Amino acid sequence: MDFDFTSDQEQLRDAVRRYIDKSYRFDRRRAIINAGGFDHEAHRALADLGITGLRIPSFWGGTDLGLVEAMIALEELGRGITLEPVIQSFICSELIREFASEETKQSLLPGIASGETICTLALQERGARYDVHNCQTVATRTEGRYALTGTKNIVPVGDVAHVLLVPAILDGAVSMFLVERHTVGASTHGYLLQDGGRGADLRMEGARALLITTFGTRALQLAQDYGVAYTCAYAVGVLDKTLETTVNYLKTRQQFGQALAKFQVVRHRLAEMKMQLELARSMSYYVTMKLTSPDADRTRAAAQAKCQLGQSMRFIGQQAVQLHGGIGLTDEYILSHYFKTLTQLEMTFGDSLYHLGRVSERLDETSGVFG
Amino acid sequence: MHGAFSPAWTRACATKAVDTGCQMKLEFTAEQEKFRQDIRTWVAGNLPSTTSHKVHNGLTVTRAELQEWAKILGRSGWLGYGWPKEFGGPGWDAVQKHLFEAECARAGAPRIVPFGPVMVAPVIMAYGTPAQQQRHLPGIASGEVWWSQGYSEPGAGSDLASLKTRAQRVGDEFIVNGQKTWTSLAQYGDWIFCLVRTRTEGKPQAGISFLLIDMKSPGITVRPIKMIDGGYEVNEVWFDEVKVPAENLIGEENQGWAYAKHLLSFERASIADINRAKRELEKLKRIARLEGLWNDPRFKDQLALLEVDVVALEMLVLRVLSAEQTGKQSLEIAGLLKMRGSEIQQRYSELMMLAGGPYSLPLIREAAEAGWQGDFPGAALHCAPFASTYFNLRKTTIYGGSNEVQRNIVAQTLLG
Repeated sequence: MDFDFTSDQEQLRDAVRRYIDKSYRFDRRRAIINAGGFDHEAHRALADLGITGLRIPSFWGGTDLGLVEAMIALEELGRGITLEPVIQSFICSELIREFASEETKQSLLPGIASGETICTLALQERGARYDVHNCQTVATRTEGRYALTGTKNIVPVGDVAHVLLVPAILDGAVSMFLVERHTVGASTHGYLLQDGGRGADLRMEGARALLITTFGTRALQLAQDYGVAYTCAYAVGVLDKTLETTVNYLKTRQQFGQALAKFQVVRHRLAEMKMQLELARSMSYYVTMKLTSPDADRTRAAAQAKCQLGQSMRFIGQQAVQLHGGIGLTDEYILSHYFKTLTQLEMTFGDSLYHLGRVSERLDETSGVFG
Repeated sequence: MHGAFSPAWTRACATKAVDTGCQMKLEFTAEQEKFRQDIRTWVAGNLPSTTSHKVHNGLTVTRAELQEWAKILGRSGWLGYGWPKEFGGPGWDAVQKHLFEAECARAGAPRIVPFGPVMVAPVIMAYGTPAQQQRHLPGIASGEVWWSQGYSEPGAGSDLASLKTRAQRVGDEFIVNGQKTWTSLAQYGDWIFCLVRTRTEGKPQAGISFLLIDMKSPGITVRPIKMIDGGYEVNEVWFDEVKVPAENLIGEENQGWAYAKHLLSFERASIADINRAKRELEKLKRIARLEGLWNDPRFKDQLALLEVDVVALEMLVLRVLSAEQTGKQSLEIAGLLKMRGSEIQQRYSELMMLAGGPYSLPLIREAAEAGWQGDFPGAALHCAPFASTYFNLRKTTIYGGSNEVQRNIVAQTLLG
């Protein structure tokens, strides 16, 4: 039992933080949003830092680091509310490593590591809510080639990505496929998301696809659990920065002749926010360390963690705005952007209520961290 | 291509990267697991089953049963389980202490009454004279001498430093006059450690001394206070011209506040009472099944929320333990433990009572006593202690520095 970070890990944290402080300030981020929510240069900068290939073995050009390092990098990216699809890169790396053929690994992983290939997951379907296993998209096989028909929504960087991992029903069971965005039969319709990043609908009418694995259920469960863990790590960074920003504001903003931080009603709210932050951080550590546990343990930990994170994000986001007053609702000041990001993250890979239900279904198995 | 660029931070780490990272891990070491197993075996062989039966079922544990367990632990040198070796303790580290507490709680051991072994002993070790150490520590370690804590007063609750109980130095004695209240289990006390006022000028904190007082001294009156659950857990203690030998002063006169704060820095992690929370959550699940709530999605969701709360609290405790163990991280988060732990204690007692529903309502005094025919789950009135426990545990967010005081402390740390 040890929660200390190694000096290498601290160096990684510093490196990402320096990048954010130097090259990813608020005006830079705003420019990216104004230009449509995605910037290839910003993505390449993260690749040069070794971030996009963090979960890719060095054989394929990655930096080959562990899950704790992924967590640390994401915390720091969260502090900068970065818009680049690093979480998507990590999940896709995991799935490709675990399920794809050697040939596919060779064709995709080096590009993801170098930042030249952007890969994303297209999971969401209308009516499925947060159930990743609910899939209506159909795959057909003709002379050994696969074609997909169906629609996916809110696909992160969906109209920017070069390739998409897409689940579809093949012979009555869900399988995982790879679709190139520009392939015949596929089209995307993009839009900005609330956090300033890009999303898209993906329409497929006989779109050509490469079969990655017929173990689609397992792949989807891994995608969701890893997605939850990565989202939690990123969220911890956003929460940390949101509270820090709020504390600094309250120390300087004067009303009734004194700093707002002097009022006990405000101080007690801050203490509650600190509580929610540390519970969130604790659960982010927890799910990260449980990712390599047996399937049932991993999935349960993910549900518990996202349930906590969802609550923490809603509380801290809302309270930060309230404590700031009107300035917290302006587009000009960064706080409203933290709030929007936190809100979007709650609805990413399942919200608090959804995961509460999943914890509820698993109560038989549990009693605390080591249960 | 990335291959041409190798950031300095990647080199050392990449060579030893495994899937869980370089070092961070959740599991205890094999050695620690062995320690846990040894404790488990020992507790199973030594904890009286009548006592664990009572603890598992929320029944009242008597003074005799508490002291019986204290003496059993004392004979193994484990009543002072947090003590260093030089004072006869086992010299365990933070993780070993946690595992010991975890195994005791899991087995249904009553909580160790903390006033002697956990509270006053570390103060005597740190600030007492060799004579005071020789006189008092053996009785605490063996469980022979029952200590109480004389802090709160009618006019000094959360604002403890405003205490007024006066101790005047006359020759070789202090003459003590005043009143303490909320004194836990003082009706059983042999000795009491008190914060008393020895100076009225200057800052209130700067005129407080730390005195050890024999409760058999003439002039002390103890009156138990009947509490909301019908039990007698706390007392009023009056001091009327009580003569205390000056040799019972700890450290220097007017420095008592600092010693009391030192005391508060002990047992950070155990204040959350996570091990008891885990045991009670398991019990709550059993009760929910017995009461036909296991398929009620609304109640199940409340249980699930509590489960998440308990896991998150346990992780917070483990983070504090890890920080204590290696000394590499800030202990700032320890300030959250009392707040969260107490809220969770209240929450499980609330759900337990709600699970019992109207069956929690009969006020049957015997229901808190062992041997009563309904004192086991499944009997007609096994829910009878739940409401009393619910009422009793409202104390947890009030005592030990109310949660409002805790929030002030957390905010102070945050705001700098």
